[in-house]
Amino acid sequence: MTSQRPLGLGTHIFVTDADAAVAFYSEVFGAAELIRHRLPDGRVLFVELAVGPDKLLLSEEITELNAVAPPTLGGSPVMLLLELDNVDSTFTHAVETGATVELPVAEMFWGERYGIVRDPFGHRWALCTRREQLSPDEVADRVPAEPTDGTWSG
Amino acid sequence: MQSAKRYIQIDSIRHGLYHVDVSSTSASPAVTTAGFQVLLALASGHSHGYAVMGFVDQLTAGRVRLGPGTLYRTLARLVADELVAESETSDPSAPHDARRRYYQLTQRGAQVVREEAALLSRLVDAAGDAGLLDGNRRTR
Repeated sequence: MTSQRPLGLGTHIFVTDADAAVAFYSEVFGAAELIRHRLPDGRVLFVELAVGPDKLLLSEEITELNAVAPPTLGGSPVMLLLELDNVDSTFTHAVETGATVELPVAEMFWGERYGIVRDPFGHRWALCTRREQLSPDEVADRVPAEPTDGTWSG
Repeated sequence: MQSAKRYIQIDSIRHGLYHVDVSSTSASPAVTTAGFQVLLALASGHSHGYAVMGFVDQLTAGRVRLGPGTLYRTLARLVADELVAESETSDPSAPHDARRRYYQLTQRGAQVVREEAALLSRLVDAAGDAGLLDGNRRTR
């Protein structure tokens, strides 16, 4: 047992256009803006969004502070996980609102309907809905020997 | 394959019973602990931000202190979820400070706090049945 047990884990992402990103996350994920701070020159230092029960911090690209967004980096090595009541409707809405499909929604061997989109700001979101209550052993029995056509669907 | 199994075990913990059963069977948004405490304070007639903070501090014998930042975030989230509304008595010219403003439960907020209270009550009853409240339990 560690003596440094954290009190919480949050996510802080960087985007080139904070207003557009807040509008997208509010429209598609039902995010609520709680707090916003700007630099004197008007750039958004950070916005705190509530997404479901969790917190998402978002900053505009400010290269001198090493706050660099995915387009500048040429991609993102991180995936954000969002659990939903209805993955299909949110996935469709995300795509209609400008996200691109990385992995279409499908039933996955670990008991979720699951799909991946890349939002208009270059961040990757895995969207899922719990479908079956599987024990770890049941899931292990279903793990494919290797990814089939890159999707890992069961 | 070992790493896949490890992921699966972590995954099963992430989807613990509370998360799945509470959030997916209720049409109302799940409220956080701080959210419930604020709703409870408003239901108890404390409508001013400072009064909400004082109520929670007193109720929990100082174990839970809603600082101004947490109070502001919690109220903003509850307002966004339409569980709480700023009341008419708010002074619109007052500084943007949640502690200085007045709030009230919406109809939906009143419903959500009732449902959450009923759930917590069942849990507390179970805790009593399990002998966890011996010595400091109020009679039902």
